[in-house]
Amino acid sequence: MSSSTRSIRIIGAAVAATLVATSLAACTTTPPGTSAAPASSGASAAATKVFMSPKFTGLAYFEVARKGGEQAAADLGLDFKYIGSDKAEATEQIATLTNAVAQKPNALVVSAIDGDAVAPALRTARAAGIKVVTYDADAAADARDLFVNQLSYELAATTMLDAALLNSPDGGLVAFISASPTAPNHTAHVKFMKQAIDTNPKYSKFKYVDTVQFAADDAQKSQDIALNLMQAHPDLKVIISSSAVSAPAAEQAIINAGKGGKVFATGVALPSSVKDFIKSGNSKAFMMWDPAELGYVATVAAAQLAQGKITAAKGTKIDCGKAGTYEVGDNGEVLYNKPLMFTADNIDKYNF
Amino acid sequence: MTRALRSYSAELLLVVLIVLAAIWSSQLSPYFLDTNNLMNSAAFFVVFGLMAFGLFPIVVQGEIDISLASTLAVASVLFAKLSVAGVPVLVALPVVLATTAALGAINGLLVAYAGLPSLAVTLGTLGAYRGVAYLLAGDAGVTGLTKDYTFLGMSWIGVVPSTVVLFLIAALVIGVVMETTKFGRYSYAIGANPDASRSASVPVRQLRVGAYAIAGAMAGLAGFVWVNQYQSARGDNADGAILFVLTAVVLGGVSIKGGSGRALGVLLSTLLLATIQTGMKLANVPGTSQTLVIGLLLIASIGGPQLVSLIRTSVLRLRRSAQVGGEAGA
Repeated sequence: MSSSTRSIRIIGAAVAATLVATSLAACTTTPPGTSAAPASSGASAAATKVFMSPKFTGLAYFEVARKGGEQAAADLGLDFKYIGSDKAEATEQIATLTNAVAQKPNALVVSAIDGDAVAPALRTARAAGIKVVTYDADAAADARDLFVNQLSYELAATTMLDAALLNSPDGGLVAFISASPTAPNHTAHVKFMKQAIDTNPKYSKFKYVDTVQFAADDAQKSQDIALNLMQAHPDLKVIISSSAVSAPAAEQAIINAGKGGKVFATGVALPSSVKDFIKSGNSKAFMMWDPAELGYVATVAAAQLAQGKITAAKGTKIDCGKAGTYEVGDNGEVLYNKPLMFTADNIDKYNF
Repeated sequence: MTRALRSYSAELLLVVLIVLAAIWSSQLSPYFLDTNNLMNSAAFFVVFGLMAFGLFPIVVQGEIDISLASTLAVASVLFAKLSVAGVPVLVALPVVLATTAALGAINGLLVAYAGLPSLAVTLGTLGAYRGVAYLLAGDAGVTGLTKDYTFLGMSWIGVVPSTVVLFLIAALVIGVVMETTKFGRYSYAIGANPDASRSASVPVRQLRVGAYAIAGAMAGLAGFVWVNQYQSARGDNADGAILFVLTAVVLGGVSIKGGSGRALGVLLSTLLLATIQTGMKLANVPGTSQTLVIGLLLIASIGGPQLVSLIRTSVLRLRRSAQVGGEAGA
């Protein structure tokens, strides 16, 4: 008994001492040393340092976008670095961004794995004078300057349904596979697809399974879910996923189950990952956009912001050379909006 | 003097490694020795450090808990929900910490009273608690937290982030508890030999439940730090953090088999891992290499003591056989 009272006294004394020390030292809410003036605006092109941080490294989609960023760096003479962890975890990206700020780049190009959790790190970056452009997956609007959106949620939804129609012209039962409940773009895609099926006569031939399945961008899990969906719904015609991992994996599961050409998977996919399916006739269409050009546009926008050539104000024109000219819309959103439909006619044209 | 040195050899080794890692990091990147960056980076590791100190007593007792990151997510989502609902933070803190302590106690009850293996139990609750967090958070997660819930993440005491101070206090409390209380001494005894402890009428089951409850509360505190630092919460918060947490505990000299290890070691190993990770991130080392380094450190810290004792016994055996051989020759 005596030892525990003694220890309580020790703990008490220790905590009290710390608290006294705490209150003696001035407790502030201004981060130390953030008053440094932004050094970036007006920096010369040769010195403009741009870091690209994907959700995580190693995924083919992000590696293709990286090539676009590198191309932009070559065209504009930027100091370009591709940074990040191979783990799909928000904490990893937060650490990556925190340490990126310390290296004083002029701009960050970010695909946010958790748009709210990484926001404080991005705000710190902006407070230090670093321009922040999101691509692919947005962060909280006040944590970035611009968001280069590959496709508006509505356009992505209808393009995926168009792909579903190419596969199954008579419509039928549709099921959805998303990455996770916390992927805002996937959630929005499914919402707009359901809405379009309910209200747009063009897609009224479809019915849908209301429950969305989650595969966490994991091929194995996607195959599993696809098999279960076919078992649970014998009249299933199409599986749609806006995960570039899940859509091809689901098609593979369909073919493995001997239902190729009868049940179809479609949605977002890298053309290289679905070339065989389309060539063999098991699948008629998948969709995507050009991730390399998306990375190119985002990197160019970031560099021009950092160099003071453009602002994030609505109506600003961003000239991306051969990749086209884009206009800043509401809330700093730049719509890239160039969907690609991959079919037997054009799949050979794409090499990513 | 030499005895003191020997008993703290693990900690001394860690200090040497930290110094080496810091030198290496400052060579890797010119931005490493920047006070602001060091402090911001330290704040980043508070969430992991709190979970490591929660796990520490459990490992001392010879058990394991891999569900802590999921418990954190339950806490962060609860804090965020309560904040949005307008509940004052001083009410939310005891409520949420009691809830996560109860989640921890469930693990403890299943391990101590149902006699189930702790790895299996906490693998189950790793999924279950994560599911609870997703259900509570909803699809979009929770944002728009009030100031009182995020104040700690945006305040500094001198140049030190408040969350770092909170971590040091919590680490000190756990350290003192493990060094001076009956709970601490019995925990080492249970870890060293549970059967002997039981026959010496140590309340093994209650102490196990207690250790798991403490871990749950520490994960809850980590969840509090999470919402303070990231001003939002989602079901997937801190997913995958357990590799770092377990590495910090074992690298700190806490035997995975139980019965040994000190809080100071856990603190130093957290510091070492933080230094290495920050250095690698600052130098933009590719992600795969970073994961590889942490994984290798975990294996080295588990295998290291084993290797030392292997070498020691084989040296002894060699010596003995040499002696025998010598005698035969004479």
